[in-house]
Amino acid sequence: MKLSSAVRIFLISGALGIVANFVGFKVNPIAAIPGMLILLAIVIVGYVLAQVSPVKLPSIAYISALAIITSIPGVPGAELVIKHVGNIQFLALCTPILAYAGISIGKDLNSFKEQGVKIVLAALLTFVGTFIGSAVIAQVVLKITGVI
Amino acid sequence: MNKKDDWKIHLLALVMVIIAEYIGIKRFQVGPGTVLLLPMLYALVMGMFLPVLRLVERADMDMASPYIGLSVMLLVAKMGTTIGPNLAKIISAGPALILQELGNLGTIFLALPVAVLVFKMGREAIGVSFSISREGSLAIISDLYGLDSAEGHGVMGGYIVGTLIGAIFNGLMVGFLISLGFFHPYALAMACGTGSASMMAAALGPVVTAYPAMEAELSAFAATSQLLTNVDGLYMSLFMAIPITEWLYRKLKGKKATNNEGVDK
Repeated sequence: MKLSSAVRIFLISGALGIVANFVGFKVNPIAAIPGMLILLAIVIVGYVLAQVSPVKLPSIAYISALAIITSIPGVPGAELVIKHVGNIQFLALCTPILAYAGISIGKDLNSFKEQGVKIVLAALLTFVGTFIGSAVIAQVVLKITGVI
Repeated sequence: MNKKDDWKIHLLALVMVIIAEYIGIKRFQVGPGTVLLLPMLYALVMGMFLPVLRLVERADMDMASPYIGLSVMLLVAKMGTTIGPNLAKIISAGPALILQELGNLGTIFLALPVAVLVFKMGREAIGVSFSISREGSLAIISDLYGLDSAEGHGVMGGYIVGTLIGAIFNGLMVGFLISLGFFHPYALAMACGTGSASMMAAALGPVVTAYPAMEAELSAFAATSQLLTNVDGLYMSLFMAIPITEWLYRKLKGKKATNNEGVDK
């Protein structure tokens, strides 16, 4: 996708995020704008980096790394980033994503239904696998290091 | 792409967002956990009815599809900015807390073989099995495969299941594990931090109830583990979980993969 088309969608979904932030969390849209502009800047820079960088990584790896670095206390501007982005609720950014997913889901509903029950069971197994995997490692390391 | 044609999509998204957020978050207690209904789920469900109401056509669906992956990037940036302030705390966490993070890969070795060998699933299995399908997982799959791919269906299904009944299921599962008496409460508490706040709360509940004297340590372990997962989740998924899942998927499919390739992509 061309950069200009991508940026346009970033701006529109940012605007939707501000709407969700206002309707769902009563955050004044004017107060939310600086935080959203910071997020948009991080996203656009990360997106461009992923395109031009010789290291081929998904854009979300660059975006996440940029966001982490700019919010480490002590990094110039980090206080501002933390303060303003704090006005943007995590869940308010999720709603526009799932709205677009909802619009496009129609074409996938059949394959979705076919796989439905299997996916439900597989998802429950992931909770078991993650929990037991972590508990076993924690138990072993705690024993080895003499904590328990 | 014709820019004029997609305003209907954005307008629909706007209306869906407003309605969904207006309804707001609903929670109710069921047994050991809370059922959480989030605005994003209402938005998804509303979307399912759009074709029935003849509000969208196939072309609109195709056009909206890449917008999912782009709007996810704002969420990834938001998640990143909550990590920076906590980096120092992570470094001071002990070895058990840090190493147990690798245990999150345990899902691959349990869920993937069952999904592939027992349920005979296709590449949906990759999407649902590589993680517990939280928001970060949606972002990763949408960036690597697209949310309307087979892998995308997997992670979306997992996401819906986790959001609706993840907390209850975790509460029941941990209650059962406590009754086995095999794990030390510290290990159980550390395992509670799997990346979802509601699931952590539901999983920790029974542990704290069973060992009330240790409540402070147990909560601290769970919270730190949760924080660690939030920090390393995206990178561990990208560089470990997805490659391992892809590798194991190929191994499990064996020769059959060539026969099924047609439906995969």
